[in-house]
Amino acid sequence: MAKDKEKLFMQAVKKKFKEDPTDLHTKFYCYGGWKQSKRKVEFVEASKKIAKARGIPMMNQDIGVPLGQRSWMPYQLSHTDIFVEPDDLHCINNPAIQQAWDDIRRTVLVGLDSPHQTIERRLGKEVTPETINAYLEVVNHTIPGGAVVQEHMAECNPALVYDSYIKVFSGNDELIDEIDKRFVIDINKLFSKSHAEQLKKAIGNTLTQAVRVPTMVGRLMDGATVSRHAAMQISMAFISSYKLAAGEAAIADFAYAAKHQSMDMGTMMPARRARGPNEPGGIPFGYMADIAQSDRVKPDDPGRAALESVALGAIVFDQIYLGGYMSGGVGFTQYASAAYTDNILEDYVYHAIDMIKDKYGGFCKADPAKFDDLLKFGDEVNAYALSMYEKYPAVMEAHFGGSQRATVAAATTGIAGAMATGIADCGVNLWYLSMLQHKERAGRLGFYGYDLQDQCGSANSLAYRSDEGLPMELRGPNYPNYAMNVGHLSGYTGIPKAAHAARGDAFTLNPFVRVAFACPNLVFDFANVTKEIGRGGLREFKPAGERTAVIKV
Amino acid sequence: MAYKRQFYPGTTIPAVNRRRYLDPKQNLKKLRDIAMDDVVRIMGHRNPGEDYKSIHPPLEEGKEPKCPVRELVEPIEGAKKGDRVRYIQFTDSVYFAPISPYQRAWMYLSRFRGLDTGTLSGRQIIEMRERDLEKLSKFLIDSETFDPALTGIRGATVHGHACRLDENGLMFDAWQRYIWDGRKKEVVYVKDQVALPLDRKISVGKPAPTSELLKRTTIFSAYTGGVDMRDDKEVTAYGIRIHKLRTLAGYQPFNVKGV
Repeated sequence: MAKDKEKLFMQAVKKKFKEDPTDLHTKFYCYGGWKQSKRKVEFVEASKKIAKARGIPMMNQDIGVPLGQRSWMPYQLSHTDIFVEPDDLHCINNPAIQQAWDDIRRTVLVGLDSPHQTIERRLGKEVTPETINAYLEVVNHTIPGGAVVQEHMAECNPALVYDSYIKVFSGNDELIDEIDKRFVIDINKLFSKSHAEQLKKAIGNTLTQAVRVPTMVGRLMDGATVSRHAAMQISMAFISSYKLAAGEAAIADFAYAAKHQSMDMGTMMPARRARGPNEPGGIPFGYMADIAQSDRVKPDDPGRAALESVALGAIVFDQIYLGGYMSGGVGFTQYASAAYTDNILEDYVYHAIDMIKDKYGGFCKADPAKFDDLLKFGDEVNAYALSMYEKYPAVMEAHFGGSQRATVAAATTGIAGAMATGIADCGVNLWYLSMLQHKERAGRLGFYGYDLQDQCGSANSLAYRSDEGLPMELRGPNYPNYAMNVGHLSGYTGIPKAAHAARGDAFTLNPFVRVAFACPNLVFDFANVTKEIGRGGLREFKPAGERTAVIKV
Repeated sequence: MAYKRQFYPGTTIPAVNRRRYLDPKQNLKKLRDIAMDDVVRIMGHRNPGEDYKSIHPPLEEGKEPKCPVRELVEPIEGAKKGDRVRYIQFTDSVYFAPISPYQRAWMYLSRFRGLDTGTLSGRQIIEMRERDLEKLSKFLIDSETFDPALTGIRGATVHGHACRLDENGLMFDAWQRYIWDGRKKEVVYVKDQVALPLDRKISVGKPAPTSELLKRTTIFSAYTGGVDMRDDKEVTAYGIRIHKLRTLAGYQPFNVKGV
């Protein structure tokens, strides 16, 4: 059995409640309502001023349910020392959460091999490291919104689009050595030696641009605009840097390559959930796991890698996509944030890692063909998670919704299964074991819609028939059964990451995506997701896409 | 051989209670007798004595289309009269409330007719024709499945099932629809399901002591005094078996044998 250590959630629950975490009893209705919350007091004062100024009533915290009848809980961002209020984790209030999504949406990966072939074979011009460097200088003028072809052209204010740039990467060290370092995402410097070798081998000789269009473009238009913006400005840069005719047919090839031979972060959605490419519903879990970069900076801590992926999935998939795009309204903040706050999932996952080491002697040593053995292991992991809620009423109250507990217990069990075997599908299978056992044990799970997928998920967890199943890395919010799978998507993101981080893999699904999000020029630091969310909550995070540069104060 | 209906596996107290609640041949114990008018007041849909609102003429006055299902199924009283559909919703504390949401759903569908039910972690709703609903609500509130401290009757703002208990052992309710009467040591409703104040206080009686609740509950829990589900080998095996069979059915159906 794993050793009985100090529980990782203790600091958070002791700060939340003055009673001992094992105490069953407390006091209610005596804390002064919303006035115990600094943030609510600020909201009330702001609303009063706004209502007075506009002559229309505004938010009034005395309307509806009396807020703050319990002790108002602060939330600790997991594996940090940052505590914030729940309002600070709302995606509308938290600029770091917004920027995480902005940085993903404004990314498109565009290959340079095809345009270079067009230039050399069709136009008979030479492509050399010097011409590539010249092109990269030009394209870093055009991509933020600079003009190069017409002399009387309106351009974008650089102070508004400072976050926009293009860098390149390749698996070919000799080629990269010839490129101006200012334009390179350096795989050798950013990744451990082992990961760098894996990535370079997977990427090969191809030269790829990581295109970051301005945050404001994604916000003003949509994700589907990103490849169009990139295509237009890349084409202009080719015209200028290779001295081409603006109207010649080759230019169409550049635009075509940029729009259609590029890699979007998300696929297009079907009509009933209609969104273009590069919107969150189309991002596979494996891509999101690659975007999360914890195992790049801490390759020896697969637990943190999985947990950071869970956090990223929570803010982008659960809070912004399902809570905003799909549901609308005030959203799913407390629902989703349970997975990345208070070190509760942390405690369960690291306990599971101890169990893996005790039982199997290390990661990826469990035999996936021994299904009964795997189920027994899943049962043990899940029982620990559920029993912690039961033995510590403070933890139970911290996750006061059944869906929160269901996701956290299932994420633990799924991550554990993925790490034990090194196979994400084994992880998702144990996720569903957790859900069925949880329902049976507690006599409750989530809500109607929440539970639906989990009642039938076992059957599709390993099915590879096209209308029933898909490898976990390739599933995403757009997978049929996950389209309105509220609260699940964070945990789902952690499962493929757990499998591949435990294996020591450099990437989960796509090496290009993996490298693109290692770039230190991104506004959001994807290697420290919870810390960034916390900085957003503390109002210390500086997002891009602000309009203050063009607003006279 | 005639099929013998099965209800739930297991040998432990929560398993036995689940089996008993689900079996319509087992009578639920009546622990209290709340006046029907008071049940109606707490539900808050109509005033006691007020006529039932109807949404269609009585069936006997209408011309029903010819339909084999209608011929097969005897309408419940409220449907015959054309009553509107209303609800009652219960919240059950995780701290050994007598029954939990899924067991409610299973029990309702096993024992009663003419209802629609929905199951969530923090609430469990019954929707039904109004006059039938009132009778069922009284039956449930009077029965052993209700505890004054750990079962809430709540239309909206239902959270509290997972919160710790107050100093008198009552489950949290942000609207304080019920309060503790320290003198009588009883739980008293002062607001209806949607938190509108009642004209007068309605006592629903004394909470059961923990020792008794531990004998009545359907909830498995590792909390002190409870039964961990893993200590019931049959229930544990049953859950794992369901998962295994479903997995195999989707992955290698040819390996599903002996079911």
